[in-house]
Amino acid sequence: MNCKHCQELISVFMDNELDESSSTEVREHLAVCEPCSKVCEDLAMILDFCQLDVDEAVLPPNPQALWCRINNVIESEVKAEIFKENKEKASVAEAEAQKASTGWLPRRWNFSFMQVASAVLFIALVSSILTIIGIKNYSGAATNSDIASASAPPTLFERVLGKLGLMETPNQKRERIIKEREAAIEYWNKRVETRRAQWNANLRDAFDRNLNEINQAVSEYTQILQENPQDEISGEMLDSALNDKMELLREFSEL
Amino acid sequence: MNVRIDKFLNSSAGIKTTILLSVVFFFASFAAQDIFAQKRFQKTYAASKNVRLQLTNRTGTVTVEGWDKDQIQISAYLEAPAANIVPVSLSGTILLNVVKDNQGRNEVGNVNFLVRVPYTSSVDIETRMGNLNVSNVQGTLVRAHISSEGDITLTNIAATNVSAENVIGDIFYDGDIQSNGNYRFISTKGNINLRIPFNAGFKLVATAPSTRSINLGAFSGGNMNFVGTGRRVVGQNGDGSATLTVTNQRGSISFIRR
Repeated sequence: MNCKHCQELISVFMDNELDESSSTEVREHLAVCEPCSKVCEDLAMILDFCQLDVDEAVLPPNPQALWCRINNVIESEVKAEIFKENKEKASVAEAEAQKASTGWLPRRWNFSFMQVASAVLFIALVSSILTIIGIKNYSGAATNSDIASASAPPTLFERVLGKLGLMETPNQKRERIIKEREAAIEYWNKRVETRRAQWNANLRDAFDRNLNEINQAVSEYTQILQENPQDEISGEMLDSALNDKMELLREFSEL
Repeated sequence: MNVRIDKFLNSSAGIKTTILLSVVFFFASFAAQDIFAQKRFQKTYAASKNVRLQLTNRTGTVTVEGWDKDQIQISAYLEAPAANIVPVSLSGTILLNVVKDNQGRNEVGNVNFLVRVPYTSSVDIETRMGNLNVSNVQGTLVRAHISSEGDITLTNIAATNVSAENVIGDIFYDGDIQSNGNYRFISTKGNINLRIPFNAGFKLVATAPSTRSINLGAFSGGNMNFVGTGRRVVGQNGDGSATLTVTNQRGSISFIRR
């Protein structure tokens, strides 16, 4: 017997499962072969240790209690899964039942055809009004400084929107533009006041003369517009005169 | 007579008086020179045919004349206290800004400009106070703006865009109306007189709200209509390709056939 054959049979030999002749051959080889006898000793030690470990540590302290706990955990998980499945099935069935009874609307939004049509019309009307207001305000912004446009007679639609407070009336628009212009004029006037002491007498006189002329024009058109707010030419001229006044102040404030 | 003068000069009092008067006249003549002296500024730039002149004056007269040279010649007569003038030539534009060049100075005398430009130039001039004159210019733009008072005279103009604006003072325009051009004449108080060709094509909006004095002359009738109780004339002459806007808040408007 060679070492390879012996080491293949050692495990079976240790378990006493070899026939007599093979056992004798193995025993004889182990007696003369040191490496194989060493392998046999190691294997014997391992087997001894394993038998000792199984006896002291692997056995559970209470196998019945452990099984009971495992069983409880498995049962609770299975119950939860079954409950969840049932719930999903129920909700799908409910939704399908609702869909079948009311079409695409959920059951609690159950409107008649007339109600739906009225709602659609209302939304269309509101969005149209808002679009028109938006467009008007946008185009109004381009000519925002134009008092004349504020003097133009309002259309019926504009009057209605004005009464609803959704759009400013021509008078309100004119007042707003005039206020804006007056604020700018006040600003430049303050700057002129700080500079005019440095001017010579000729320049001061010329400035006062010209400002007075423009002021007369402004008061003239303001008076006309108070009597006839729809006078487009006066609105335009007031706008022009206020603009001239602002320019005069701005240009003299540089001196 | 000669005897009396000799007697006067021979007396000691007479000598003293003569010396005193001589001294007084000597210093007075220097003082007068200081008051009435005018400094002169002159500069010439080579210019292309479509050069642009942009001039902003404080006070004084500005005269711009077109000539047949590729040069811009700037002559300025500066009254005391003399203003600073710093012309700048910048990519086809000659810039003069007397307001900016003298900002912060309390007292600055009038500056009277005479500028000669190639007749195809564009001219953009303004002053805070004083007259503006432009003649023989046929470039793209002629703009004359007076912040306060002064007369504007534009003669022999053939520009596509013309604008003249003042507060108190007359405006006179004598020139062409180019097709598709834009022409604006605006005053608060003064007379606006426009001398234009009879066959010129333009759309007109002329407004004289206070005086209602709009004299269309040869251009009346036909397509011209008075609106707003005679305060405005709206209409068209010829093909109506150009736009003519005339506004005189408290003065008159007159059209003269050229």
